[in-house]
Amino acid sequence: MPAAASEMLVGASSDFLTRFSPFNRMEPEALAFLAERSTLAFHARGSEILTPEMGQPTHFHIVQRGKVQARQLGPASVTDYAAMTLGPGECFPIGAISAQRPSTNAYVAVEDSFVYQLPAEDFLKLMQMSPVFHVFCTQYIASLLNQSRQQLQSTFAQRAAEQQTMTTPLGQLVKKEPIFVGPDNTIRAALEKMSEMRIGCMVVADAERKPIGILTQSDLLPRVVLPGIDLQRPICDVMTATPHVMSASDSAYDAALEMATHGVRHLLVVDSEGRLKGVVSERDLFTLQRIGLRQIRSSIEGADDLEALQRASRDIRQLALNLIAQGIGAEQLTQFISALNDALTCRIIDLARTRHELYGIDYAWLAFGSEGRHEQTLSSDQDNGIIYVCPEGADRDALKNRLLACAKEVNENLAACGFPLCKGNIMASNPELCLTLEEWKGRFGDWIREPDPQALLNATIFFDYRVLCGNERLGDQLRAWLNRTAKAYSNFLRLMASNALQVAPPLGRIRDFVVEEDGTIDLKKSGARLFVDVARILALRADVASSSTVQRLRQAGTRMGMPAEEIAALIDGFHFIQLLRLRSQHLDTEHDAPGDNRINPDALNELDRRILKEAFRQARKLQLRLKLDYQL
Amino acid sequence: MNWLTRLLSNRTDTASLDVALRDAIANWEALAAPDLGTAHFETRYVVINTEASGLDLDKDRLLAVAAIAIDRERLSPHDSYYAPLEPDAATALTNLLTFVGKGPVVVFNASFNRSLLERALDEHLRLTPDWTWLDLHWILPALYDEHIDRPARLGDWMKAFGIETFQRHHALGDAWAIAQLMLAAQARARSLGLNTPRSLADLEHSRRQLRRHG
Repeated sequence: MPAAASEMLVGASSDFLTRFSPFNRMEPEALAFLAERSTLAFHARGSEILTPEMGQPTHFHIVQRGKVQARQLGPASVTDYAAMTLGPGECFPIGAISAQRPSTNAYVAVEDSFVYQLPAEDFLKLMQMSPVFHVFCTQYIASLLNQSRQQLQSTFAQRAAEQQTMTTPLGQLVKKEPIFVGPDNTIRAALEKMSEMRIGCMVVADAERKPIGILTQSDLLPRVVLPGIDLQRPICDVMTATPHVMSASDSAYDAALEMATHGVRHLLVVDSEGRLKGVVSERDLFTLQRIGLRQIRSSIEGADDLEALQRASRDIRQLALNLIAQGIGAEQLTQFISALNDALTCRIIDLARTRHELYGIDYAWLAFGSEGRHEQTLSSDQDNGIIYVCPEGADRDALKNRLLACAKEVNENLAACGFPLCKGNIMASNPELCLTLEEWKGRFGDWIREPDPQALLNATIFFDYRVLCGNERLGDQLRAWLNRTAKAYSNFLRLMASNALQVAPPLGRIRDFVVEEDGTIDLKKSGARLFVDVARILALRADVASSSTVQRLRQAGTRMGMPAEEIAALIDGFHFIQLLRLRSQHLDTEHDAPGDNRINPDALNELDRRILKEAFRQARKLQLRLKLDYQL
Repeated sequence: MNWLTRLLSNRTDTASLDVALRDAIANWEALAAPDLGTAHFETRYVVINTEASGLDLDKDRLLAVAAIAIDRERLSPHDSYYAPLEPDAATALTNLLTFVGKGPVVVFNASFNRSLLERALDEHLRLTPDWTWLDLHWILPALYDEHIDRPARLGDWMKAFGIETFQRHHALGDAWAIAQLMLAAQARARSLGLNTPRSLADLEHSRRQLRRHG
């Protein structure tokens, strides 16, 4: 009767486990599985149970008796605690074993301890088997996410606090080393330097670095160009002597007042000994002002020229920084950015329409790609198009030409407001992308019926469309038709799926992350896009009308019977990657470098690294689902 | 047990045993003796515990046997055995032999457990296994003298380690507690450089000597 004995011992283990959460809430089969597969081990006081050097953990541990201390290793603080003591019923390591990577903590028995051990593969099975246990583990991950957000919040709040108040001393505002020339330098040399450094003014300082003059761009026309001055003459002949100088301890407010009073755009900042410390421009002060959502909104709506729109566009970027500072999540943040960008685009279109006679034309302005998905980051370029209706008997070419002319102006104005023109010419002013509803159906239908690589690529951009302004019903009609058609061609979806699986999450077997040659990971190509591509396919299959990745995952996942926690974990993973993208773009744009999607995982703090890994693991899970569904 | 004792014995002949049991016993006898020089983490120890009708060796009889293996310093609920002697003592004991193999075996209070078990094995199977018996009753105070520095009762040791079990005075219930004590014993022994079953046996031996002469 050997079965009887093991039943009794399994019973002893499960009796023990049911004293603790989450095991007391666990499904009976799952609990039995856990108790059956667990073995008991003993760790003498002072011995190491698990350390990062031991590599990927082979077992999940549950303390039966005694005390185990989890100690963080390395300089970066991962969580609120530096060391935490685990007692009976507590388990470790959850993050490491679910992500299948070495633990970041060292676990040491601080008392003689008995510890249950569950083999790693059984742990993963248990996660699948038990929704309760799954939630327990994902909540643990979620609590890490939350901590990360708080950390982020405090970092940015500090930055924002430094940057936003008008009481900031000017000494803190000037961060760049001042650029200046001596009074005997030639005008030519000074101008060359201005051009090379792309600066709007040149300071002239003496040998002791004390400013004695300034030459700004607006001085060039009246003083240099029109009089035809010999550029070999010294700069002191044309500079403004006795420039406006302020002390480094003066506040931004003092500077603004000085500028307003004297009508100047640049102020020289000097230290206590009168030596040049830097230059403050009107623009520097502008970014200090607190910019609210409502103000931007109303300034967009009230804008009636390009300049006002450009200002609004800069405000949107500043607002994004403020919002991150307030600890807002990636989802809300992208929604705000997207809502404001929409308003801006609509205003640009409105203004253009007054110059192009479009009265009576039924059309819709479409946004494609990331803008179509409401996932615009700060450095997205334009992707747009038009659907229109050509009434019977109308002159189609004339009508289309009118739309195109208007679209061209819109595209250019968008570019002027910080949305770069699309290099691939995916813009409404492209005649290929200004089509009637029937033409769009024909175009989409061709891609679905003959899904060659180019057609599949097109599908990934164009199927993520939404109506940004104009007649929304046109977009709805196209969506309904598209979902119906794509679903009917299962081969198309299968090829889309195989395409979506081309890029794997950058998780390594040995190292944490698989990085590119320069040590970075492209968070767009190897991160966000993995979610986006699968979500699109799920949406087509489950007939989801939304173009947003999060909505697609939520709605399609629910329709396909995915557990809510699983969907939530996927969405968290996607948001975290988006948040990292926004953050790196923001930091980059502040330094005037072009925003991109690359991050160096080594530059992240330990917590973010852990969560990023979990996010990639979620992407892998999503891909796996697709792989199974399509037998790829 | 040797052929002579068997020959002189007047108890039931093993020839009357079921074929399957005889095969099982033959298989067990054919097993190689364990290497007592291997490390704990390569050794399968088996904790054996008995349940009797009382504590008087002359009057009381064996009611049930239980065994739990500690394989490579881990205790798995699946590697365990329990059987009452009624109604089929021969099968219960043969299965115990099969489960235990050639040892080493771990008991708490060998003088009682061992006598009881050897008597039953002799009676029903006509054999006395040549096991290395490790008695935690002697070994634990040698290893954990900060807890208790003399031979003590199982209940005291359980208390010292905070060990619980599902049923006291039940062969398997107590075996579960003894097995946990053995886990602790292995770890402490290892830290003292006592890495093998043989070194545990030596430790026990010297303890007994000390007791006798001290």
